[in-house]
Amino acid sequence: MVKSHHPLVRQLLDGELSLSELPPELRAEGDVALRWLAGVDRTPVVLSAAVEELVMAQVRRHARSPARRGWRWLLGPRELDIRLRVRPWVLGAVAAGAAALLVTLPRGVPRGVREVASTHPPVYVRFVLYAPGAGRVAVAGTFNQWDADAGPLAPTHTPGLWTATLPLLPGQHQYVFLVDGQRWVTDPAAPTVDDGFGRRNSVVAVSAQGGGGRAL
Amino acid sequence: MRAAALALLISAGVAGAIAGQADVKARLAGRLPPAVVGAVQQLVDSAVAKGLPGEPLVEKAIEGSAKRVEPARLLSAVRAVLGRLTDAWTALRAAGVLTPNRDAIETGAFALNAGLSAEQLRTLAAHTQAPHSLAATLRVAATLAALGVPANDAVRLVRDEIAAGRSPGDVLDLPRRVQMGMAGGASAAQAAGFARGTAQAPPEPPRGPPSSQGRPHKP
Repeated sequence: MVKSHHPLVRQLLDGELSLSELPPELRAEGDVALRWLAGVDRTPVVLSAAVEELVMAQVRRHARSPARRGWRWLLGPRELDIRLRVRPWVLGAVAAGAAALLVTLPRGVPRGVREVASTHPPVYVRFVLYAPGAGRVAVAGTFNQWDADAGPLAPTHTPGLWTATLPLLPGQHQYVFLVDGQRWVTDPAAPTVDDGFGRRNSVVAVSAQGGGGRAL
Repeated sequence: MRAAALALLISAGVAGAIAGQADVKARLAGRLPPAVVGAVQQLVDSAVAKGLPGEPLVEKAIEGSAKRVEPARLLSAVRAVLGRLTDAWTALRAAGVLTPNRDAIETGAFALNAGLSAEQLRTLAAHTQAPHSLAATLRVAATLAALGVPANDAVRLVRDEIAAGRSPGDVLDLPRRVQMGMAGGASAAQAAGFARGTAQAPPEPPRGPPSSQGRPHKP
């Protein structure tokens, strides 16, 4: 039988209240709930070598594409020390060449600014949220273009506990949980920063340090 | 011959820039009104023209769209991101990093958003030396600040760990050690104190009643 928490304690677990903001009579319950939540294992998941090899084969397949390399080379910043002595006809050639290239470029293929494949393998990070009573939980963030449909959490055997394991590339990522498609909830077990819209985003930093990588 | 090669090179650059513009518009089309897409495009162009990464601006616009933020506020947030990227780039240049890479600039902007000052970015950049990477150093300090560690303490902690000859792995491990302390009930500042100089033997989380900041964090 699962104990149903007081609504204020639920707000505490959602990160909307701090322990000190709870009425004194609820602090003990809140403290226990927080400690229970803190005990949830959030360490990166170690998968079998076969799975990792499978994923890496896909990553390498993308990374070795000459077209993608060429595209990255084109967009990557370079320092050039150029002294120009240009004949006027060259300017015309530049304009014509640009127009020709633009017409012949395949449409919709390059994603442009962000590298699609990284030289580092992804790190598998487990997201966990305790959301009793929720019918649907998802995680949206910089790693999935804030598309909640791309990051659904699955209910666990423990009622109210939802989890998802996602591959993240090294770097810092911001995210928020979306409960029942309406309520944005920060991860009470992660650092947060201002999202610029009057709310907070949770932060996970993923490092490739030490070979296979790990989450900070 | 050289002129032809130069023409081809510049043509490719121009075409790439134009295609990049189309890419940004394609990613935002359908998510935001055309006027907002155009405004974001202008900000991205402005960033790229200064040598700054444009992707964080696009991401912020997409985030605002997903959160159904009204256009004025969305554009304000995107401008704020551009401002932080500019400030980070300026701070890193002032610290002697002549060509800060994209990762360092983005992480510097993230650090500013987490509560570090431009002066603290300069301090960290000035104290980062091989084998430590600038982006990783900034990321650790920013994560500590996001955890609630006072910015001064976060910068001092990272700087001292580097000066003490700790490995990059040890420095990257600082946020986890601080979170362990916080999970045990310590304040962020206290946990940062516990984490100082404990790279080889992380301390046991302190026992006892939690403080008012006793929220759980990732171990």
